[in-house]
Amino acid sequence: MAILLDENTKVIVQGITGKQGTFHAKSMIGYGTKVVAGVTPGKGGQEHLGVPVFDSMKEAVEATQATASVIFIPARFTYSAAMEAIDAGINLLTVITEGVPVQDSARIRQKALDNDVVMVGPNCPGLITPEASKIGIIPGKICTKGNVGIVSRSGTLTYEIIQNLTVNGFGQSTCVGLGGDPIKGIGFNECLTLFENDPQTNQIILVGEIGGTGEQQAADLVKKEITKPVYAFIAGQTAPPGKQMGHAGAIVHGKSGTAKEKMRILSEAGITTVRTSSEIPIRIKENL
Amino acid sequence: MPMLYEIEGKQLFKENKIPVPRFRAYTDSSSISQFVEEIGSDVMMAKAQALSGGRGKAGLIKKVSSAEAEEYIQSILGRDHRGKPVEIVMLEEPLEIEKEYYLAVMLDNESGKYLIIASSRGGVDIEEVAEHYPDDIFKEYLSIWDDPFSYMFIDLGKNLGFEAKTLTSFTNIMTNMVNMAKQRDLTLVEINPLILTPDRKIIAADSKVVIDGNSDFRQANIASLKSQRDRHTELEFEADQAGISYVQLDGEIGIIAGGAGLSMATCDLLEFFGSSPANFLDVGGGADETKIEKSLEILSRQNIKGIFVNFFAGITRCDDVAQGIINASKKFEIEVPIVIRLVGTNDKEGISILEENGIKAYGEMEPAARKIIELVKGGN
Repeated sequence: MAILLDENTKVIVQGITGKQGTFHAKSMIGYGTKVVAGVTPGKGGQEHLGVPVFDSMKEAVEATQATASVIFIPARFTYSAAMEAIDAGINLLTVITEGVPVQDSARIRQKALDNDVVMVGPNCPGLITPEASKIGIIPGKICTKGNVGIVSRSGTLTYEIIQNLTVNGFGQSTCVGLGGDPIKGIGFNECLTLFENDPQTNQIILVGEIGGTGEQQAADLVKKEITKPVYAFIAGQTAPPGKQMGHAGAIVHGKSGTAKEKMRILSEAGITTVRTSSEIPIRIKENL
Repeated sequence: MPMLYEIEGKQLFKENKIPVPRFRAYTDSSSISQFVEEIGSDVMMAKAQALSGGRGKAGLIKKVSSAEAEEYIQSILGRDHRGKPVEIVMLEEPLEIEKEYYLAVMLDNESGKYLIIASSRGGVDIEEVAEHYPDDIFKEYLSIWDDPFSYMFIDLGKNLGFEAKTLTSFTNIMTNMVNMAKQRDLTLVEINPLILTPDRKIIAADSKVVIDGNSDFRQANIASLKSQRDRHTELEFEADQAGISYVQLDGEIGIIAGGAGLSMATCDLLEFFGSSPANFLDVGGGADETKIEKSLEILSRQNIKGIFVNFFAGITRCDDVAQGIINASKKFEIEVPIVIRLVGTNDKEGISILEENGIKAYGEMEPAARKIIELVKGGN
């Protein structure tokens, strides 16, 4: 099972002929992802990495019946690429690009909502269902198939947590990197619900950070609707207020956005909160 | 959260037909008499421009007479306000106040829509109004697609008590505010207070504008404003120009990490183990060797006792990280102990580059963190 993505998902890579697109499309194909097409306007008809390249998303979807696309395109062109993907009828849109204007993200998000498209990102590492498929840039070799579902606002920190789990014998069902921007596609709650309903997932890990209210909303949902054990790690314990810590969404506004406050609210909702990433497998073992 | 100076915000208001008092910027106290003549008043507001709040309490906003203005400007220019010297003072014509309102347009993170917040209780902290008089706060959402038109704001204007001529002025101001937010990629436009004068004019007495740093490529005029340079420390500005997210902290160990989350977690881990981070530094996804080199160069200018390089590379490649470190060590001396943790994309290549140069790399974050702390504490 797993969520959002499996070995049969057909994926189109937008920007496949670019430097990042080429590097990561290759890695996705190597991992087993069904990359069925690439899109680069003006390069239709060519073949790249053994995959046919099309001029437009419409042509690529018509020719391959792909249901997912991933965007490796510079920020200034991401808005149009995302609109094109949704208009072409894909169901799962993953935007890896960092630095997308927030107004563009808001427009993409609304269009995705209006068309029942699951949008992941922008500014995210994508998602991986170990030993089946990956969309994006999560290194495949640190993952192993299992029962832990991960949903995270961070990229590299997620890798850290995945590796700690893998080394300690806990495989993953699906890992989803939501992205670090203030306005983004799906959030914690959509993923928590998907994991709750996924028979393969037995434990859920939530990786949050300072800023925003996603963690607080997740706490509410967990209290009411999630029966599986949830573990949470919040980055930014040492962050000073008012300063942006890399991610545009990671900024402490008053007391409510601090890591401490988020951990308190999550604990109150019955979620096991940890202080370091290596603590997660220890806690899972204790609770088994 | 890149903010503009009040005076820069007001300049934007002026360009977008949102009425503001007449004002002028001063970086010294010369030619005040011209402004006095222009406004035809002997009293005026003098406001130091700063990006941190609390200007009023710090004595940086004052009503002065034209005779006092020169001396006052001289007294606050260069004065420290929360770590930054005051460089600009704005003189502004005084307003007669009949009533004060609150008005804001923001790009709301949760809904992804433009959110308008308005209240007839302006001039005070809006969060306090929300707590004590929730019924006096009006909120309206605008679809991200819709162009704003005056008719959309008539109900809101009536709820606030505007009528006849003031109602039209208000709906025009609202329309212009939303248009400005959309066209200039502003994530917040706040006017507090918006003032109704006895002669029924509505004027923005203050401005708070937050821009979207991701839109710099299409908002060059805004990105080049003075506030955008001033919001960083010198090192932060230099890092920003190089595409590196860097925040100066006051601990002992300098950090270079890939990814914002991991960089934050690295800061946290150092503190958890009893040390402290000297900075947050995320080289960003897909960083090349020159960015790593630049990061080390920035840290070398900070007063630190050790450096912790922490990469779990996805889009970045470990060989680029390693090469950057080697290049840097050839150009300038790294005078403090350095511990490197390197895994992920191309880690074998990265580790062998380091080993060829006699540097050991760690595979795990926690042992590496303990090592750098040991080296730093041992050196005391």
